[in-house]
Amino acid sequence: MNTIPIRHKWEPYLWLLPSLLLMSIFVVFPIGIVFKLSVSEISKSGVVRGFIGLKNFRDAFRDPAFGTVMLNTAVWVVSVVGLSTLLGFITAMALNAKFFGRKVARSIVVFPWATSLVIQASVWNYIIKGEYGNLNNILLNLGVIKSAVNWRATYQIEFAWECGVGIFVTIPFVAFTVLAGLQSIDDAYYEAATVDGAGFWKKLRHVTIPLVKPSLTVCTVLNIIYVFNSFPIIYTITKGAPANKTDTMVTLLYMRAFYDNQKGPATAMSVIGFAILCVCAGAYMMTTMRKEEA
Amino acid sequence: MKKIAALILVMLLALGCVAFAEGDEITLDVIICQYGPNTQDWFLGTGMDGTNFVDKFEAENPGIKLNLEVVSWNDVYTEVSTRIQNNNAPDILNIDVFANYAADGLLLPVKDYCPDELFEDFFPSFIAQSVIDDTVWAVPDLASARALYVNKDILDEVGVEIPTTWAELEDACQAIVDFYGGDVYPWGIDMTTDEGQAAFSYYVWNNDGGFVDADGNVALNSDKNVEAIEFAIGLVNKGFTNPNPATQTRYDLQDMFGAGKLAMVIAPNQLPSYLADKGYEVNWETAALPVNEGATPGATGVMDRVMAFKDDEYPDQAARNEAIGKFLTFFYAPENYVGWVSMEGFLPAVNSSVAALVEADPSFEAWLAVLDSCQFYPTALDNWDAIKQGVIDVEQQALTGGDVKTLLDDLQAKIAG
Repeated sequence: MNTIPIRHKWEPYLWLLPSLLLMSIFVVFPIGIVFKLSVSEISKSGVVRGFIGLKNFRDAFRDPAFGTVMLNTAVWVVSVVGLSTLLGFITAMALNAKFFGRKVARSIVVFPWATSLVIQASVWNYIIKGEYGNLNNILLNLGVIKSAVNWRATYQIEFAWECGVGIFVTIPFVAFTVLAGLQSIDDAYYEAATVDGAGFWKKLRHVTIPLVKPSLTVCTVLNIIYVFNSFPIIYTITKGAPANKTDTMVTLLYMRAFYDNQKGPATAMSVIGFAILCVCAGAYMMTTMRKEEA
Repeated sequence: MKKIAALILVMLLALGCVAFAEGDEITLDVIICQYGPNTQDWFLGTGMDGTNFVDKFEAENPGIKLNLEVVSWNDVYTEVSTRIQNNNAPDILNIDVFANYAADGLLLPVKDYCPDELFEDFFPSFIAQSVIDDTVWAVPDLASARALYVNKDILDEVGVEIPTTWAELEDACQAIVDFYGGDVYPWGIDMTTDEGQAAFSYYVWNNDGGFVDADGNVALNSDKNVEAIEFAIGLVNKGFTNPNPATQTRYDLQDMFGAGKLAMVIAPNQLPSYLADKGYEVNWETAALPVNEGATPGATGVMDRVMAFKDDEYPDQAARNEAIGKFLTFFYAPENYVGWVSMEGFLPAVNSSVAALVEADPSFEAWLAVLDSCQFYPTALDNWDAIKQGVIDVEQQALTGGDVKTLLDDLQAKIAG
């Protein structure tokens, strides 16, 4: 007699089962293995030899490049996430306005996002090449410069280029998430604000931002994770050269694992990265959610 | 219920087939590195006179199947170490390094599977590069040698001869800079994360230095090495080279050389075919690497290897060793090997193919002479990967203003200590 309520209880779990299974096989299980490897001794050719406590973590922290690379990672994440959020927001506002050719503009903006990162990075690599790069060619032909300019004169400049490419490819993601949020805002709010005499900035501050905040939060958390873990741009443009000065944590741990054969410390680094991401994303979500509740 | 029963039946059948197949023949897992655009086609496509290596081998060696995979150099290290971690190492591996695998006890000694006649065929100086504790762990599959390539038109226009010493090199660079301004880089230098160890060898080996001393002990901070690397960094700082040696790879340099933007570059013997494939037309000439006054010239050779992994679970070890031996015998047979080596423009590792190669291309003879005097990286050292990445790090630190002597002292202390 009471089969229906019981079925209602377990039925959602049944439908969730496939994704739970997928998550455990492809996400939870590998994470568990990385944790296990991070406290194991791993030979240079990859043989796992057993528990060695926290030695891998000590080695990772003692890595001569660790300090520089942590700083680089912070600069990389803050600049790419920060600037792409700002510019993506502005782009979304522009794309939300009604103008001729809006659909074309929207599809153009999505292009950088729809192209694979490795290809994007390789293309930028060609653009800024000193000898026969596209940027030099265009400027030479326009007569803006008289001889080829070395656009990658120092590693600081190279790192800035990498951040720039990161920002360029991240803008579409922010723009489209924010655009979705903007489109869900009822025009009535703006009309009411106009009646109350609010100008552009006041509407932005008191109507737009509070209402797109949920999508902005999701987008920023995802962005922090993507950008922190982003590998192709730096690997393609500089490979961390010179001497790890343009590496971030993810490219450094790849180098350590597969160029230097220090697989143990490399796994420890990826666990450290995981912890940092958990803290950053958790803190960000908690503060924004608390504000919403208040 | 019926469906489940049918499914179980199908699975049992499939299992039965696999078991039957395994009882009858041996399958060797082989990983080959991708040397160029033709490798895949030669091994698996139609690049071997309409057929391919695998089909031809299996036809001539019934009972042995090849599960052969061609893997790019970018991925092969990751793939092999993942397979080792998963207890699924290949039976036969073609790669450059071997010491780490040998140190972990993963390799079979070459004498266990290589027929004597074939073993005698390898150049002894090559075999000597794969020995640890008096045991040969791998055989060479091919080699290449590096030489200086110059753009003759540029040198003639400026009016300088091909430099043979470091002093002449600096004079030639200065003359090219004076003549062309910034339009032509006189000298190519590659200190990238990919191959910076080659640059290290070009300079230290031409200054009587090296990675190891006469006794084979690591000696990275010798005065000769410091002098050599300071000279190389000096070339960069004087503006004689391509502007970004830490990120401009050998392929970037080869392209600049092809486009006439670079007057001189050190490159492997395949450079001419690289230039031809890309449609560059350069009036090039080759010469020995410039040497510091009074030092013995040293050419850089690069060698790759083939090795066999242990598989203790395989029931019939003798049959497995014999199958691996047959694979090698087939690979190095002149009718197959000559095509393999010349296809991507490499140099051979066995005597039996030399005559045919020289007949096909007389310019080979000069390269074989270079090969004789070549030095190779000390890849038999179990810390070679640390040395290699270490010298690259030193070069890149020095490019950003670090002191060569201090850097090499620190590296030596780290490696030896």
